Amino acid sequence: MDKLLYVSMTGASHNAKAQTLHSHNLANARTTGFRADLAQARSMQVFGEHFPSRAYSLTENPGTDFRPGSLIETGRDLDVAVEGDGFIAVEGPNGEEAFTRAGDLIIDNLGNLKTATGIPILGDGGPIVIPPFEKLEIGADGTVSIRGQGQTPEALNQVNRIKLVNPDTANISKGPDGLFRRNDGLLEPEAPGIQLSSGFLETSNVNAVSEMTEILALSRQFELQVKMMKTAEENDQTSARLLQVN
Amino acid sequence: MLSALWVSKTGLSAQDIALTTISNNLANVSTTGFKKDRAVFQDLLYQIQKQPGAQASQETQLPSGLQLGTGVRAAGTQKVFTTGDLQITDNALDVAINGRGFLQVQLPDGTLGYSRDGQFHLDANGQIVTAKGDPIQPAMTVPEAAQSVTIGSDGTVSVQLAGDVNPTEIGNIQLVDFVNPAGLQAVGGNLFRETAASGAPQEGTPGLNGLGTVEQGALENSNVNVVEELVNMISTQRAYEMNSKVISTADQMLQFVSQNL
Repeated sequence: MDKLLYVSMTGASHNAKAQTLHSHNLANARTTGFRADLAQARSMQVFGEHFPSRAYSLTENPGTDFRPGSLIETGRDLDVAVEGDGFIAVEGPNGEEAFTRAGDLIIDNLGNLKTATGIPILGDGGPIVIPPFEKLEIGADGTVSIRGQGQTPEALNQVNRIKLVNPDTANISKGPDGLFRRNDGLLEPEAPGIQLSSGFLETSNVNAVSEMTEILALSRQFELQVKMMKTAEENDQTSARLLQVN
Repeated sequence: MLSALWVSKTGLSAQDIALTTISNNLANVSTTGFKKDRAVFQDLLYQIQKQPGAQASQETQLPSGLQLGTGVRAAGTQKVFTTGDLQITDNALDVAINGRGFLQVQLPDGTLGYSRDGQFHLDANGQIVTAKGDPIQPAMTVPEAAQSVTIGSDGTVSVQLAGDVNPTEIGNIQLVDFVNPAGLQAVGGNLFRETAASGAPQEGTPGLNGLGTVEQGALENSNVNVVEELVNMISTQRAYEMNSKVISTADQMLQFVSQNL
């Protein structure tokens, strides 16, 4: 059997993997603060006791697209969007620091400030807890201020400040839960220049047209691989015919 | 089978939920005291096919791995408690809450429901009830001889009796507030119920301790913004179409395999 069959088979199965990655991006085209995953293929040459003519393909995701998405106005006090670069620091399930761009915040029954998916938001000295309030404002630098119940407008209290960070995107990666974490597991220092816009949400940064095009291109490439498998089969049949004794 | 099929399927069902939310919002565009819903999406877990940073050999590390996401999930819907516009109706039994707080309604099963809808009526006994006939809590009865009903901004309800010089006070409307109003359970009929997520109701006099004032002769409109909902509908529809396109592409790929091999 010609090894050509295996090379094309690897190509096809890795095309299918890349297809999954792009369709995941497209499925999240409307997820708040979602960052698109990138895909690349690498050729893996096989060395051994033979002539090194085979190069298998290998799909990888070299990272995440960190370009900002567009901002949509919602007018809700607890919706925040990070302008430009930067992340909101949240507390991961094991108490570790993680980062997100999804700023649709909620306050639970105990006054904890959380993301819409229930992950606590970090402030100065741990997760942010907000006392009962009449009106809440989140400032451009992440300062959370409230007008307490029954207080006059001039008595605005500063409660805490949302920790905004700007880690080097080369040193962070997406975890299995979609949150970003530092690769070395250290704490990220607060970055002073990051700006929040209150009353806005950031859309997903998925470019639906380019993802769609990639998916179509991958499907054609997949067909090409299948065609090669077909050719390998035909080659095999031909050589079998040549050796047939009448 | 191609996992792209299942990933796009999650995309389709999430957009389906988004469209249901949008159509419910649009249907309630003129419902008094309605608070719009918003679908919250979350990316599903990632499967690590190849760990980035793993040792490729003793001296070298893999520069990048392969993590494949499994799609999207509607994490839930969120009630958006922004205030709707106040509409002046000049009807004596219409009340709107200007600020935080909910009106309390006694439900037939004895529990309390909470509402921002202040369209009240009188029943045969003169009791102040909602459009569904549930009495307001604390209960108030307007006497037969009443000429007019006045509701003060602090919730005091007084009536002018025929032949009387001074108005008679018949009760006080009390408002309640919750730590997390978004955690209330919407039960239809413009009513909400208390849940573990919303926290316990804190009753108080309107205008005090952060509660809004009660405005007579006004109603709170729905907070649905039609233009915003229509724009959301367009982007939901297009996202739906593109996800279904992925399914048909994956289908064609499988078809090509089964026909050619």
